[in-house]
Amino acid sequence: MPAAKSKVYKCLNPIGTQEPVELSALAPRLKSIDGKTIHLSICGEPDITIPLEKRLKSDYPDVNWTVKKTYNINPIRLSEEERKTTDGVILGVCW
Amino acid sequence: MPYLAELEKDGIPTVLIDLKEETTKVRHDATVYGVPELRVIEASRTLAGPADVDNWIEPLVQSLTKPLTAKEKKSGTWAPEQPRILFEGGLEDAEKFYQQTENIPGILNAPFSMYTDGLPVVIPTEERVKEMLAGTSHSPDEVIALQRDMRPTAREGALGVGNPSMPEFYRKKGDVVRFMPMSRTATVEQVAVNAVMAGCKPEYFPVVLAIAESGGGTGDGRGGGGSFVVSGPIVEELGINVSYGRGSIGNPPNKTIGRVGALLWRNLGGYKETVSTIMTYGGGGAALLHGEYAKGLPPGWKGLNEELGFKKSESIIMGGGGGPGGGGGGQFWMPGVYRAFQKSGHGAIARWLNVKGIPGPHNFLDYFLDGMWATREGGVTMVMIPSMAKDLWDVGFKTKDSVYEYIYKKSFEPVKKYRMRGGPDFFTNGWMGIERTSGKHWKELSDDYMVPVCPDPWSNCIILAHGEETVLDRSGGGHGAGWSIDAWR
Repeated sequence: MPAAKSKVYKCLNPIGTQEPVELSALAPRLKSIDGKTIHLSICGEPDITIPLEKRLKSDYPDVNWTVKKTYNINPIRLSEEERKTTDGVILGVCW
Repeated sequence: MPYLAELEKDGIPTVLIDLKEETTKVRHDATVYGVPELRVIEASRTLAGPADVDNWIEPLVQSLTKPLTAKEKKSGTWAPEQPRILFEGGLEDAEKFYQQTENIPGILNAPFSMYTDGLPVVIPTEERVKEMLAGTSHSPDEVIALQRDMRPTAREGALGVGNPSMPEFYRKKGDVVRFMPMSRTATVEQVAVNAVMAGCKPEYFPVVLAIAESGGGTGDGRGGGGSFVVSGPIVEELGINVSYGRGSIGNPPNKTIGRVGALLWRNLGGYKETVSTIMTYGGGGAALLHGEYAKGLPPGWKGLNEELGFKKSESIIMGGGGGPGGGGGGQFWMPGVYRAFQKSGHGAIARWLNVKGIPGPHNFLDYFLDGMWATREGGVTMVMIPSMAKDLWDVGFKTKDSVYEYIYKKSFEPVKKYRMRGGPDFFTNGWMGIERTSGKHWKELSDDYMVPVCPDPWSNCIILAHGEETVLDRSGGGHGAGWSIDAWR
């Protein structure tokens, strides 16, 4: 028993491999949202997103608002074509 | 999160609205997907929507216009590294090391295990891991990847689990498996380390590797460690208990292989409550492994391996279906009453089915399903013994599919009743989607239109177990995907 106690074991790591991630700066911000196409991506929590959509449209009437909504937790994605004409995205409440 | 990261990298400014206690998790995900400084606005769980929006609509919009800080403009590389050898020393010290905990503020500073599921583990010495690796022909440094092409089947498509006609749902042999929530990868050796810690024997290792290939019970990060059913010859080879006490204690393969998913979730996936994952109060993480007693199947009834497209001679695991289920409902079930009903037409089931005094075999499904969907929607998974399967076979159910179809047809109810349920807000995408049996928009359907509460026959599942006690275990879940064990031998 004393020999077993003093034996040195190499014990392996159970943790998976975190591959290196390239970290990006955030996209440059807009000077103003007026006159821009801002996309509202709604997923979940209609109690929040219904009044939010109303407020955004009434408080910022000079914005071209586009909206995609789902009750589920995964947002409906913008197509590549739609991304070309979208200046900003507000997404909530799941991600 | 990958979507928001893509948009930011494409040059489109974004802002995410989350709920306050989710922000630690959001920050974590943002780093994993390469945009650590993602802008976030916190909404409330308790304020009414209009008042809540009033509190943050201005900063929300400013998130798209406020100039970037120096920190937000930074780029770089995040490359956390883990040593292969985690600890060197005596076994007693190793036990203390592997059982370390940290206090996590999000769970009121309760301790959370750094390397285990909370229970003591077998210490993964280099020698023990080497022995475990002898259980497979795969190389220790091989990265866990899919062993075959996978496309959603038509049946899975019907359940909304992928779309068979859309290539974005296809996965190819060789695709690297990601363990969630950290989207990590793993080698065969890293899986072996966890298998040792769970107490597995080398001969169990191909099953463990198949579990790893399935994502290791990590799901989208809230996987809970998963639950698995083993089908095929390996059930007998390993001595997986499919008989009395199959859900109880005492059988090493059931308990140790069943435990592996929880360790893979913690160690490969990086699950850490409120830090890398949130919204799991638990209920997951319970060790679960069942086996199928295929020898007890009546003629024409397929085993799970064949049902999922494999050969009868192939050993597979089926991941827990994960679908919702009506399995919590239905009539109370007394094994003795069932026996009396089939033997001589006595007792509650016989009264209910109006066959009093008439010996069986009788179809017991109507009694079983009475009230099945009273409070839950979805399919029904049944674990039954051979004599009960034979009773169904004798009354005309010559295939499992005929039972699934029968249950499905029994689940129809009028739309007006379906609307009052808790789940369909979600299943119908807020009633904005198309109802499948009619092809019509949900809002176009009359109150009396009949819709299925069990979404598809395939959402039901029968698992055969050995034994004579006429218990009929029930749960939700249905059919999950199948993963070859033989591919990992």
